[in-house]
Amino acid sequence: MATVRLKNIHKEFNGVKILKGIDLDVNDGEFCVFVGPSGCGKSTLLRIISGLEDATSGTIEIGEKDVTKSDPIDRGIAMVFQSYALYPHLTVRDNIGFGLSLAKRPKSEIKERVNAAAEMLQLESLLDRKPKDLSGGQRQRVAIGRAIVREPEVFLFDEPLSNLDAALRSKMRIELTELHATLNATMIYVTHDQIEAMTMADKIVVLNAGHIEQVGTPMELYHHPQTPFVAGFIGSPKMNLFEGAIAKEHNADLYGIRPEHLTLSPKEGKWKGVVKHIEQLGADAIVHIHVESLGMLVARADGDFSITAGSTIYATPQEGKEHLF
Amino acid sequence: MKRQQIINGVIALVIGVLIFVTPFIFIGLTAVKSAAEASQLGLSWPSEWLFWDNLVAVIQARNYMLLLAYFNSTVITVGAISLLVISAAMIGYVIQRRPSKWNGFIYALILAGLMIPPAVVPTIWLLKELHLFKTLHGMILIQVAYGLSFSVLLFRSFIASIPRDLDEAAIIDGAKPWQVFFKVILPLLKPVTVTVILVQSVTIFNDFTNPLYYLPGKDNVTVQLTLYNFQSQFSSQMNLLFMNILLVTIPPLIMFIFFNKQIVKGMTAGAVKG
Repeated sequence: MATVRLKNIHKEFNGVKILKGIDLDVNDGEFCVFVGPSGCGKSTLLRIISGLEDATSGTIEIGEKDVTKSDPIDRGIAMVFQSYALYPHLTVRDNIGFGLSLAKRPKSEIKERVNAAAEMLQLESLLDRKPKDLSGGQRQRVAIGRAIVREPEVFLFDEPLSNLDAALRSKMRIELTELHATLNATMIYVTHDQIEAMTMADKIVVLNAGHIEQVGTPMELYHHPQTPFVAGFIGSPKMNLFEGAIAKEHNADLYGIRPEHLTLSPKEGKWKGVVKHIEQLGADAIVHIHVESLGMLVARADGDFSITAGSTIYATPQEGKEHLF
Repeated sequence: MKRQQIINGVIALVIGVLIFVTPFIFIGLTAVKSAAEASQLGLSWPSEWLFWDNLVAVIQARNYMLLLAYFNSTVITVGAISLLVISAAMIGYVIQRRPSKWNGFIYALILAGLMIPPAVVPTIWLLKELHLFKTLHGMILIQVAYGLSFSVLLFRSFIASIPRDLDEAAIIDGAKPWQVFFKVILPLLKPVTVTVILVQSVTIFNDFTNPLYYLPGKDNVTVQLTLYNFQSQFSSQMNLLFMNILLVTIPPLIMFIFFNKQIVKGMTAGAVKG
């Protein structure tokens, strides 16, 4: 297990700056999630840590060792790809043991370690199958098995769940969290899905346009976003952000309130508006309200809250839950 | 199926048979006729079937030259195909996976290899300088050179359809570049490799002009050149000439019949992406 330390990482592609000076410490045994919109540089950063990509400048340390110029194999990392990247011509057993056979480990040791990884991931019955005969979730587990078997110091995950359906994704999230608890390894996980980030991370790194917006625990980011970007990115539905009079009223440039921190009432409240649209989710309902003085306001109401589109409604922000920027 | 469609189908089939099958029937019939009958070059039924006699005569002609020709052609074909597949796959892999400022120039060379007809006299001069003229390995290199452009293009487009993640996964697993190629990429190239083997081996095995230019000499004879020899020796014995044609046509024909689907598969694979 090891810490990962990034110092002033810059990356340019054909003169376009992808990463603009990333400084980050990932502690030993931590589950760190890089999250951000498409094109923010999170995958590039992961690839730089893995050694698949070179940084234009800056240094990478893994386990107190400078690995900036090292080959991937010498960095003590293993990586799980979005597409799983299983070797189609090899069986599950050979896929998992591929790295060990390249390292010319004895056959008995390869067998033992492959079996141990397979047992941990419940892949024993699939060892002699080819990747094409597996389901998406099974393939993902094989890809994870291929990483585990090498006993790396740091695990890197590049959007590993984005090819799975919603139900399987939720199951795999739990499995990955359990795996992290079992292995107690340092894991760096890239995703654009903030639910994955919130549910799995010890530490979330929010990236935007090549720089770090904020680093913190999931609840720190939720309760204390330091920038409007983080405020808007973390939380679903996203925070309502308003400029203008309401912001000035609070001596700020931007006023934010989360949909779940609005209390709705048909009779009275701070803001009067007209319900434009309702997204019924069962347990909750997401209500889109047009307020004359603010514009569109999104609120989360109880699923049983009786309301129809076109009706008048009042929304009141909960005391102390406002965010000012 | 509508009546009109059936009629159209039958007409197409009849035209197809006339164009493609008639020549084979003509070869087959002439090959089993007597010398006198064969010289009339008709599609008439043979009065007596001399299949075995003609076969033995062709094989024994000029001190079993046909057998030597089969040996030479096989050596050239196997040697050239082995070199061709390995080098074309490697070249295709490198130019697909590692774009560089030289790629445009390399493509120009590959296209030139496809478009510009080879100049025979300078090639012979070069072969002589390299002491490769009139040698089987010289002939193998010629065939590799002539087939390389087409094969590289096939391999390159196929490799474009193999996700780069596989290369990267192998690199993370500790594979050196040559291990990425031989252990991960090459096994996945099977469909296109089979296509290249089939198409090129038929081309090389059937080649008449190149061995004629670059491989003169009685001991260097290849199967297609045996036809040329027969024509001068037995100018009136068309039955033996056609028996010879039959014998040298069969191996490529069998390959085409059995691997027809595989050829099309490899040709079109990777055509959508890349």
